[in-house]
Amino acid sequence: MQVTFDKVCKNYSLVNALKDITLDIPSGDFVFLVGPSGAGKTSLIKLILGQIKPSSGSLLIDNVQLNQKHPPFDRIRKKIGVIFQDYQLIPDKTVEENIALALDIVSFPKDRVQRQLDDVIKKANLGNRRFLFPSQLSGGELQRTSLARAIAVEPRLILADEPTGNLDPENSWNLIKLLKDVNQNQGTTIIMTTHNLDIVESMGKKIIYLKNGEIEKITTPPNKV
Amino acid sequence: MNSIRSTWHHLRRSPFQTATAIIIMSVSFFALSSFAIISQGLSSVLQYFETKPEVTIFLKDGLDRSTIENIQNDISKYPNVREIKFVSKEKALEIYKDQNKNNPLLTEMVTSSILPASFEISTSDPKVLEQIASNYQSKVDIVDEIIYQKDLINTLLTWTANIRLSGLVIIIVISLITLLTIFSIIGMKITNRKEEIRISRLLGASKYYVKVPFLYEGIFYGVIGSFFGCLLSFSLSIIYQQPINAFFAPILFIDLNLFSYFLILSASCFLGTLIGYLTSWFSVKRYIKF
Repeated sequence: MQVTFDKVCKNYSLVNALKDITLDIPSGDFVFLVGPSGAGKTSLIKLILGQIKPSSGSLLIDNVQLNQKHPPFDRIRKKIGVIFQDYQLIPDKTVEENIALALDIVSFPKDRVQRQLDDVIKKANLGNRRFLFPSQLSGGELQRTSLARAIAVEPRLILADEPTGNLDPENSWNLIKLLKDVNQNQGTTIIMTTHNLDIVESMGKKIIYLKNGEIEKITTPPNKV
Repeated sequence: MNSIRSTWHHLRRSPFQTATAIIIMSVSFFALSSFAIISQGLSSVLQYFETKPEVTIFLKDGLDRSTIENIQNDISKYPNVREIKFVSKEKALEIYKDQNKNNPLLTEMVTSSILPASFEISTSDPKVLEQIASNYQSKVDIVDEIIYQKDLINTLLTWTANIRLSGLVIIIVISLITLLTIFSIIGMKITNRKEEIRISRLLGASKYYVKVPFLYEGIFYGVIGSFFGCLLSFSLSIIYQQPINAFFAPILFIDLNLFSYFLILSASCFLGTLIGYLTSWFSVKRYIKF
């Protein structure tokens, strides 16, 4: 899934969260968005999800203009998997039910649901946790559930907003490894915001540095993994 | 199918709210169905009195056949006249004898010549009775006496109108309370599930997808509440049928007619579904904006 920002600005009353962002993320890319707090990383993610609207400029997803009066966000969101720093799992649903909900929302073929659930739960190493509720899980398990829910729907784009923010290094690396697999094997575009420069620099992927709502630089460091 | 599962999940998770909503709905529909049963009874009472001669015009002696026919033709021209019955002197004697058959002393000396012929008139509109009575009151050359059960009919009409009006007011007040209660309960439930709704929307759920379980929930309250409300009023009407009917005898105030009970139940379920659906729809519309 291709994401294109063309001179996008986002203002919150007097604060300019994003200034004149022009950016093209081709389909199948793995991109890191890095920068200090308030740099505009989360605003970029929210714009793609349609949670906020650009103040000016245009945003295109797979060449579909999202500045129209009734943008097809419901349809687009079904092709996007999301992972949040605070997991955003439904507390009174088990691990399996949380993942199944995402599958139901995207109208995943009924005959494939159980197999898909088994598959992603195995991939995320949650086999012995599938019937537990979020309150019974550790931080790493919660984030793996969030990841399993995101990849279960076979998305064309994964938005990961600080997914390693609450994880220890081991869990962080496991999560990144899973995301890398999905990117390589399924060609899923991945946009991930993070503060963890160790991970970013080790991955050898495109890095977009944001500062004060502007793109400071875009780099592709040599792959160290 | 998942929406139904989701609705069931909502209902189970907050059993007290669910019970409150069902009880409030049941009370409303108990009042509504009881009112329907009482209305039926009142109609029977009215119908009973309507079948009685409501105005009796006693004629002077010695009127010829054509004069009597003219009176009959004249009365039949009034609107909403249901029945005009001519009671001849001979027939009046028969009735008199029948009414006093246990008291031979009263019947021995009476002949048809001392009893007046009369017209017994029924209408479907009590106002017409008043017109007939007042018009014939002045015709002293042909009319001996007029008996008009004005007070009885007026009292009956006032009572039935008052009962129907109070019933309607009670139903409107209870319906409003029900609407507001269901509205608040669904609103509370949506507020409790705000996070779930927000997450579902982020995962791509359409507004319709997140609304449907709440709509089903409203319908559930409506159907179950109206069913239990009707069940309660039907049970009470069956239990108290005998003493009530004895009180109103010979009128059958509570008629255990399965078809009319089925009609009341169907109408209540339909109304309950409508109230539940509309209330939920408005609550959901108000709360789900993102």
